Amino acid sequence: MTDDAGGTPAPYLVQHIQDALAADDRTRELGVDATVAGRRVVLTGTVATEPLRRAIVAVVAELVPDHQVVNGLAVVPADEGGDVEELP
Amino acid sequence: MTRIAAVGDIHVGADSVGRVAAGLAHVGERADVLLLAGDLTRCGSVAEAELVAAEVAGATIPVVAVLGNHDLHADQGTEVVATLAGAGITVLDGTSTTVAAGGVVLGIAGAKGFGGGFAGACASAFGERAMKAFVEETRQEAARLHDALVGLRDRADRRVALLHYSPVEATLRGERREIYPFLGSHLLAEAVDTAGADLVVHGHAHNGSERGVTPGGIPVRNVAQPVIRHAYRVFDLAVRAVDRSVA
Repeated sequence: MTDDAGGTPAPYLVQHIQDALAADDRTRELGVDATVAGRRVVLTGTVATEPLRRAIVAVVAELVPDHQVVNGLAVVPADEGGDVEELP
Repeated sequence: MTRIAAVGDIHVGADSVGRVAAGLAHVGERADVLLLAGDLTRCGSVAEAELVAAEVAGATIPVVAVLGNHDLHADQGTEVVATLAGAGITVLDGTSTTVAAGGVVLGIAGAKGFGGGFAGACASAFGERAMKAFVEETRQEAARLHDALVGLRDRADRRVALLHYSPVEATLRGERREIYPFLGSHLLAEAVDTAGADLVVHGHAHNGSERGVTPGGIPVRNVAQPVIRHAYRVFDLAVRAVDRSVA
């Protein structure tokens, strides 16, 4: 359950990452999932903008500089359109 | 038809100027009213509220909103509401409003709501003060939503409940079940079912599902933008005018 021999256990590291993303003024983001596997951190989820997507990776990279950060985040589409739902 | 556009969790910040406005360019042609289901901002500053106001300024239809948890993070909720109201956005907080929409009067009762979980597996007002305060917050939100909906009975033909937190579990599916108590409460559904409504819209659950229903049979829609994956969702409510001449 550790990220490496003697390192922070992965579940704690995941929460440290999520706490940092919520607290950092550059991100203030609660909706990112982090998975730690060895020296890799994989980030997934959807965020509002491309600059925010990049900022999230930067914050995590600063927090765990000895890990590779894999950016699996998507930017949520916000174009007009989509189905109209009729309700009774 | 009464056409209702709705979206939540637009999370406007300094890095997203113009993004929401572009998505709302034609909303006035597609809907009679725009509902914003909370988390309008990223961290609840007045500066971000000013950006929200600018983003929706081009909408040519009434805009009605509730705040979400992000909008309260900076402890500037009062100032955020004042900023939005100053820009013509009606912000509901256990209150209601009416708009003329599709030939009928549409009533909108709004509240942020809060968490606590769902019947059978929810928080109880027992033990530590913090726990009791947590549950009491939800109870008060639910009670105020109920009263706002009841107050619309004689003023509106159709009624919509606008929330940030979810009233049902169905629209949370996709989220980790462990966090359901932080995403909504059955007390909100009970309030809606008791007071009556035609539709409930909410946000907050980015990884949730779009459609649900209250135990009393009222449609619930999660319009968090990461869920609907568009600028907004449009709901066409059938016209059903109430004859107020009958006592």
